[in-house]
Amino acid sequence: MHIPDAFIPIGQALIYWVIALIFVALALRWARRSMGEEKVPLVAVLAAGIFAIQALNVPIPGGTSGHMVGAALAAIVLGSPYAGVFVLTLVLLVQGVIFGDGGITVMGANIINMGVIGGFIGYYGYTAVRRLISNAYAAAFIAGWASLFISAILCVVELAIAGTFPLTVGLTMMGAYHAIIGLVEGGITAIALYLIASARPDILEHPLGVGT
Amino acid sequence: MEAKRFVIIGIAVTLVIAIAAPFLASSNPDGLESAFFSIYGAKPFMGSDLDEEAAAAAEEEVVAVTGNDFSHQPLMPDYSIPGMDKAGEVLAIVIGTLLMLGLVFAVAKVSARPDN
Repeated sequence: MHIPDAFIPIGQALIYWVIALIFVALALRWARRSMGEEKVPLVAVLAAGIFAIQALNVPIPGGTSGHMVGAALAAIVLGSPYAGVFVLTLVLLVQGVIFGDGGITVMGANIINMGVIGGFIGYYGYTAVRRLISNAYAAAFIAGWASLFISAILCVVELAIAGTFPLTVGLTMMGAYHAIIGLVEGGITAIALYLIASARPDILEHPLGVGT
Repeated sequence: MEAKRFVIIGIAVTLVIAIAAPFLASSNPDGLESAFFSIYGAKPFMGSDLDEEAAAAAEEEVVAVTGNDFSHQPLMPDYSIPGMDKAGEVLAIVIGTLLMLGLVFAVAKVSARPDN
């Protein structure tokens, strides 16, 4: 879902950059207050793992492919939506600058869509669903799915404002594709959470419970 | 499992994914590109026939719509190394993964709450 440079006019792209930078500043404040030094190697491995798995596009019907984003996973494991913003900002920076995946002028929009929406829907979706059902992995699946789907919807709205996509057709196509890609996001989020919880339950900020 | 071992296993799993990715990944356009090509008539909504000429025209058309013609030549475009084939793709993703590891470690180290 990486938006390339050409898809959004520079003026609008700058507005998304300003909004994104506010969240990046809040994410740095979160790191200063809540991310302890002992978590640093884990955050680095999580980010590298998210980068690698993002390169693994899985085929979806209709001659299309999709990959996971990973912000929901980072947010759930580290117990804050800002963890998703923190990790995805750095992932998107490397992807855009070194690999040309996602534009530079539009990187703010990509940070909002994947990092901010991914982190917030992932984290709050997970905590909300956990209050309704007891299975943490099912909650992670639903939150992962929703984070990807809502990111895609916001992406269409931005592209419609930009004049790139017609709103209704864009929503239909992106919605259909990402409802399926979301299953990949949800599945990997749940599996990764299971593996981390099995190996090192103490790493989880809120041990498979509801965070406050 | 002790912390050090967990991190080492995490890095090992990540590198396995990075090395396997170029062989396993679908080469079809992703959801956003696919929707873009369909809307601009270069690819059917449900189907994999991408008309290369129409795709190039679509890219020009979208620049005309948004006026954003900024372009940037990345070091390793599309997770590949120019002039190298599959090995270059493996190398690109492995380099990216190690770069991620180092960059995030450094940024997290600088921004984390000091333990004392």
